[in-house]
Amino acid sequence: MLHKLATAAAVAALVLATSVTAGAADFSEGSKAKAWNLYGEEKALFSGKVVDILCELSGDCPANCGDGNRQLGIVRDADSKLILVMKNRQSSFNGAAEDLLPYCNQKVDVDGLMVGEDEVVKAKFFQVQLIRPQGEGKFKKATQWTKAWKAKNPDAKGKGPWFRRDPRVLKQLAADGHFGLGVDYDQQYLAENE
Amino acid sequence: MFSTHLKSLLGAAALAVASTSQTAIASTAGNVIEIKGEIIDTWCYFSGVMGDTDATRGSAHHTCALWCAAGGIPVGVRTDDGDVYMVLKFKGEDALEQTDTIMEVQSDFITARGVHYKRDGLNYIVVEDVVANDGITYLSHEDYDSVPPFSAPKKPKK
Repeated sequence: MLHKLATAAAVAALVLATSVTAGAADFSEGSKAKAWNLYGEEKALFSGKVVDILCELSGDCPANCGDGNRQLGIVRDADSKLILVMKNRQSSFNGAAEDLLPYCNQKVDVDGLMVGEDEVVKAKFFQVQLIRPQGEGKFKKATQWTKAWKAKNPDAKGKGPWFRRDPRVLKQLAADGHFGLGVDYDQQYLAENE
Repeated sequence: MFSTHLKSLLGAAALAVASTSQTAIASTAGNVIEIKGEIIDTWCYFSGVMGDTDATRGSAHHTCALWCAAGGIPVGVRTDDGDVYMVLKFKGEDALEQTDTIMEVQSDFITARGVHYKRDGLNYIVVEDVVANDGITYLSHEDYDSVPPFSAPKKPKK
């Protein structure tokens, strides 16, 4: 009897270890994420703790996860994997730190897309579309980036999306041109493509 | 009495569980490395949202890389073998801080020295020094023009 129980326990432990390391878990059940038709795209609804990635890796931990100046991630409850959250729900070149920051070191539920993974980099990244405190209330859309940008850049007036008016982008384009090859190259390009 | 077979099985199970808990939970100690690679916009590169991986780096994608870096999307260093190191800090500054250092090196091929961490299949780096900067070496605009097309230079409105 003892022999049978011990065998069963050992086999169960091996199966558990194998399933965790394989990382092939499906988190799509219940997801309401919108498809973007991206490389390796998989819908994913999961729970976890919002972390400052550098803090998690190294112990270098500024207050409040760096106040928006650090890349943030989520340590997923199901398998303790550190998920790099690369993108929010907006479609204009926006990261996810502003949407995760209010939940620094707190447990959340998130819904979105796992994306990427190629032949060399064997990992996926997360695009967060919806977020809420774990188990509490309605999900909120992850769209805080442009509001934060407007607050940081009150003098960036004018029409058009933020990236056409951003002072840091404009400064770099004025210095090195659109291809990074100099403003003279931009002029040459325009002359050749009239 | 346990058989030899069962002892082996239990040992393997204990080892597997211990190994799993280490890789899944424990932080990885950093080590100093030097890498050579191109500064890339990781979202467009990995997601395919703007095209394939060759089109979403180099000169063709330079303006979009500026937009993504300013937007707080992680910047990466892509080595020639296709590995990518996610930049967590750059030359002592936080990657998302309102400084221009990270903007100035977009699409450049650099030699970087820094502290490397690896967890759950991803490489991360804190870049402590740019040992060399060769500028933009991948002239992808010759094949792809401007990616996306709306990032091409425009004539000023009269």
